[in-house]
Amino acid sequence: MNKNKFGILSMLLAVVVAFASCKPATESEESGSKILINEVLMTNETNFQDDYGMHSAWIELFNKSYGSYNVAAHMLKYSDTPGDTAVYFIPKGDVLTLIPPRQHTLFWADGQPNRGTFHINFTLDPTKESWIGIFDSGNKLLNEITIPANILTTDQSYARTVDGESEWEICGAGTTKYVTPSSNNYTLDKNMKMDKFQTQDKNGIGMAVSAMAVVFSGLLLLYIIFRTIGKISTWWALRKAGKAKGLSEEETKEAMAKGATPGEVFAAIAMAMHEMQDDVHDVEDTILTIHQIERRYSPWNSKIYSLRDLPKK
Amino acid sequence: MGEFGNFLVQNLGDFWTYTGIYNATWQHFAMIAIGIFFIYLAVAKEFEPMLLIPIGFGMLIGNIPFNMDAGLQVGLYEQGSVLNIFYQGVQQGWYPPLIFLGIGAMTDFSALISNPKLMLIGAAAQFGIFAAYMIALALGFDPMQAGAIGIIGGADGPTAIFLSSKLAPNLMGAIAVSAYSYMALVPVIQPPIMRLLTTSKERVIRMKPPRAVSHTEKVMFPIIGLLLTCFLVPSGLPLLGMLFFGNLLKESGVTRRLAETARGPLIDVITILLGVTVGASTQASEFLTVDSILIFGLGALSFIIATTSGVLFVKFFNLFLKKENKINPLIGNSGVSAVPDSARISQHVGLEYDPTNYLLMHAMGPNVAGVIGSAVAAGVLLGFLL
Repeated sequence: MNKNKFGILSMLLAVVVAFASCKPATESEESGSKILINEVLMTNETNFQDDYGMHSAWIELFNKSYGSYNVAAHMLKYSDTPGDTAVYFIPKGDVLTLIPPRQHTLFWADGQPNRGTFHINFTLDPTKESWIGIFDSGNKLLNEITIPANILTTDQSYARTVDGESEWEICGAGTTKYVTPSSNNYTLDKNMKMDKFQTQDKNGIGMAVSAMAVVFSGLLLLYIIFRTIGKISTWWALRKAGKAKGLSEEETKEAMAKGATPGEVFAAIAMAMHEMQDDVHDVEDTILTIHQIERRYSPWNSKIYSLRDLPKK
Repeated sequence: MGEFGNFLVQNLGDFWTYTGIYNATWQHFAMIAIGIFFIYLAVAKEFEPMLLIPIGFGMLIGNIPFNMDAGLQVGLYEQGSVLNIFYQGVQQGWYPPLIFLGIGAMTDFSALISNPKLMLIGAAAQFGIFAAYMIALALGFDPMQAGAIGIIGGADGPTAIFLSSKLAPNLMGAIAVSAYSYMALVPVIQPPIMRLLTTSKERVIRMKPPRAVSHTEKVMFPIIGLLLTCFLVPSGLPLLGMLFFGNLLKESGVTRRLAETARGPLIDVITILLGVTVGASTQASEFLTVDSILIFGLGALSFIIATTSGVLFVKFFNLFLKKENKINPLIGNSGVSAVPDSARISQHVGLEYDPTNYLLMHAMGPNVAGVIGSAVAAGVLLGFLL
């Protein structure tokens, strides 16, 4: 196998490996939604209080993107009976509907929308299978969750195991998980990456080896690709030259090798032509011709411009 | 009158507490002396004047003592102050990619495209980064700080600033000053190592002249380079994206005005702001610490290791190359990406041993590969540690 074929094969192999290792799309990626329903608490007796001091059911939304997201003019929909869907239109004009990157916001399902933007016009019933969806202003479904009937007891929430991930679990009373309104579902109380490096790669050899492998493979791939491109480009140039002279590829190669003129020669010729045509040198290029310019008058030293005229009597 | 006199005395007394003289400490004077030394190096010795003048003068600006409790909003670290606004480009890391845009627009990758195996030298020289990382860990720095310190060995000021702003913002001043200082000292650091590691026979190796590179290849390089490196290391996107974009502006041949702006006025403006704010960030209270001294030591070490690994890699690589394709190991130092200084060093040292052997063209290959390599290395460190 010649080197050209090897280069092309390596490239093809790299492309195949790259495509084969592509990550399959997950649930949230399929919808492409930045806003997700993240946690729902249906019966609140002793849990989080709203701004009126009341214990109400709540729905937590999570902005999974790294940019702010405004839920104004979006719709929260709820249904526990087929054909009967309650809709809450999130009002415009409240600055608090802008959810910062990777942050949460709570909507109180207390059926009291007159209490503010975040109090919605329906309540949740844990005894029935409940469907909750969030829609954008164009009525496009962004995210939904169906909570089975009677799986949540008092002060228990149904939450994603990790913010934005597709797995759900029951949290709160009687479980080892915490209810986390307006907060991360999975609390990061340490820097996992740092801990891993500090325990498993104390002297940094692992990092050095893996990082150098990445740097080398990146530049090695670039080398293989450009080596192949270079070969193709040279072959193409030969072919074009051969066609113009009516020679075969081999004959062109031989002719070019015979009459090969080093690049330096062309550079010298080009430089000489440039010098001659553009007259870049003085004729007397070894004589310094510095003449002092006599200019006694200058506006900068003129009194006319720096002094005011005296008033005439 | 007595009351008025008291008022005047009290007023002048208050003013006195606001003056630099009242608030000065020996650390301020030490930093001012370093700033003046940088300016001296730039003016008298012409060591990287474009960098050392702004950094040196920035040191003077940043070390004028003032009453920190007065809320005057003049200090670099006081939120909302003018200097703080300038500093956002460093802190948020958007100056370095703009510098890379300019570098891309002024770099000719022909040498690399015509002899792509030189890219591997650029990769080998990045070992300096990871060797410094290991030593920094051994000295007690945490992995993020060690990564930020290690990048000094990449010999790339903007990359060092970019990475340290993400991994260890509190060390950024020391890292940036260290990176730029050693870049200025490349002519002092590299030649002895190159001479030490090469034989007289190796120093006179003549390399094949590079072939002419077609316009199509030049246009393809930034596109393929970006796709390949960034698909592999997306965290290097800000730097690599702008580097290759700048190069496409240059090589496309149809965006001459944009390319000229990127490599001219834009890079000049950003260099001024970057240099002055990096210099000013060396406020004595933040800068004069034991860590800074360690960082300077590690920076020198990482430069030495990077140069060594570049030269040794060429010698190793030569074992597998045919006689007519051998590489002169004197271009191994160019793998550290101090463009074009390290390539010029290859040329100067090469000419000492053979006055007709011009290595500059060949050395530019690993030199620009070093820029790509150090940006990839920074991306790897970011991906692993952040």
